[in-house]
Amino acid sequence: MGTAQVVKVGRPISPFRARATVLSRKLWNIGLQVAHNRTAMIGLIILVFFTFLAFAAPWIAPYGPLQAVTDAFPLSPPDALHPFGTNQFDYDIYSQVIWGTQISLIVGVLAATVASVIGTAVGLVSGFIGGWIDEVMMRFNDVVLSIPWLVLMIVVAARLNYLDLVGIILVIGLTGWSVTARVVRTQVLSLKERMFVERGRMIGSSNAHIVLRHIFPNAFPLIFANTILTVAVSILSESVLAFLNLSVKNNVSWGRVIAEAYQHDALTIGMAAWIIVPGLCIVFLVFGFYLFGYALDEILNPRLRRR
Amino acid sequence: MVARRLVNAGITIFGIICLNYLLIRLMPGDPSLSIVPRDPKFRGFRDYVIAFFGLDRPQWEQFGIYLQKLFTLDWGTSYQYRRPVADILFHDLGWTLLLVGTSTVITILIGIAIGSYAAVRRGKPFDFVSTGLGIFLYGMPIFWLGLVLQSLFRKNSVVQGWIPWWPTLPTSGYFDDRLIPWNWDLLHVSDAFLHLLLPAATLSLGTLAGISLVMRNSLIDVMTEDFVTTARAKGLSPRQVLRRHILPNGMPPMVSLIALDIAFVLGGAYQVEIIFRYQGIGFRTIEAIGSLDYPLLQFIIVIGGVAVVLANLVSDFLLLWLDPRIKIS
Repeated sequence: MGTAQVVKVGRPISPFRARATVLSRKLWNIGLQVAHNRTAMIGLIILVFFTFLAFAAPWIAPYGPLQAVTDAFPLSPPDALHPFGTNQFDYDIYSQVIWGTQISLIVGVLAATVASVIGTAVGLVSGFIGGWIDEVMMRFNDVVLSIPWLVLMIVVAARLNYLDLVGIILVIGLTGWSVTARVVRTQVLSLKERMFVERGRMIGSSNAHIVLRHIFPNAFPLIFANTILTVAVSILSESVLAFLNLSVKNNVSWGRVIAEAYQHDALTIGMAAWIIVPGLCIVFLVFGFYLFGYALDEILNPRLRRR
Repeated sequence: MVARRLVNAGITIFGIICLNYLLIRLMPGDPSLSIVPRDPKFRGFRDYVIAFFGLDRPQWEQFGIYLQKLFTLDWGTSYQYRRPVADILFHDLGWTLLLVGTSTVITILIGIAIGSYAAVRRGKPFDFVSTGLGIFLYGMPIFWLGLVLQSLFRKNSVVQGWIPWWPTLPTSGYFDDRLIPWNWDLLHVSDAFLHLLLPAATLSLGTLAGISLVMRNSLIDVMTEDFVTTARAKGLSPRQVLRRHILPNGMPPMVSLIALDIAFVLGGAYQVEIIFRYQGIGFRTIEAIGSLDYPLLQFIIVIGGVAVVLANLVSDFLLLWLDPRIKIS
């Protein structure tokens, strides 16, 4: 880590300011390590590219996500005006792919956040309290992990019936927390045995205080890196659900574009790009999150690598 | 230790059975619709069907009947196929096991080979390429991979224009429709093998990366241990060090990973079965969800869950046998 700097004694500094200083220095260090890590940078560049695409979609995409074009027939193959052709409703596929970035990113990030929050809460409680509560939670976790995840998601998605953006985020978030819970629990079990927890107990800190102020901050780097990997998984889940026609109804996502292409036999009618391009987008975005997540994991949790 | 594992597995299976019932009944829709058309003039018949299948009884009573049927192996008749659920399940299970089994064996063999070679050549081009490619494949939606492979190997595919001898492989079903009914002769077996190629390749490619990446990391972890240095110091060849010291110690994490992966592989198998119209457990499950075929659905999901639990149990025992140190902790 960075060089320790002596803070001048005498000049009073508010505890908030002190904490902010420490935090910003830590973040700066992590930033430097990321900048010097080739894997992390490749991942980051991919992520920045897609984030840009998502934000700039209204300006880059020539047509709206669900806007019929006037200068081509439905299902017309690629030409100069429509680089990937048009689909069965006469929507421009090139524009659809660009707009699809938004849904994939939003769903991926928010669903992973939901899953991480639930998983972290379960992992913290289960690992710290232990006893029968841990037993019950972990058995429930086993059950959720054992039921094929695709079935679990489809059933929950079917229950919600009409899926809007919030719906699909909840479906993926509510079914995807089990792995996080397990990872966090393992980490908490080892943190619980550390000296600072015992010290906290000695001076009479409450359990809530120990968990929130000592265990959680120490587990946070792991949780954060894990969340980024969960984003990748969530994006994949969304694409599978969309392919099964179970995603956001009134918007376009990559999985849905592939589903429509598949239903209209894009390959036989000479519109391979219709299937290939959105698929490649998913692959690259997920690749970016994986690369960044793994590299960050190595930077944030160096001890785990050198077991 | 062993007893505890067994009890836990039992509890988990019971949990799956309960959650499964809850999940299915929570799904919206009217299951009788897969038997009776939606038309007012069939209302009487519909009421009769609902009463016949006991769908009008209180939930706890239905749950009791469900448990009783589950344990007495009297699994009832599918609404949609009008055939005994057990027959359908065992027929499909065989085909799914063939698909998942083939691809798991392929994946484990190739994954371990690639992973250990990458670990040995750490930091060299092979390691860099295989790891990068691995993460890339790991992020590929399996259904999309299946579509791409289909497009490459279908009749008149683009590749055939460039390479004349490029093969055409069947892309749907488990054997050619013209060969129905199934017989155990060379013609059927070879045809089933051809039909298995693409689905198994898709599933293997989709799950290969997980195995090879973990194998690589696990071996690299072991390589930093002191006993490896000792083995080198006493003059063993690199090959001997790898085979006698590194591999045996790198295997245990792999065993638990492969077992944990079964759930993931099943999820992938569901996608592959849909894309390739390979009518195994996954294909049938998705179909049954669509038509709310309660009898079929409730046992088909339990089978998947129980398979995962059993795989984990087997891996636990395998680990105990492979690594006696675990007993102590």
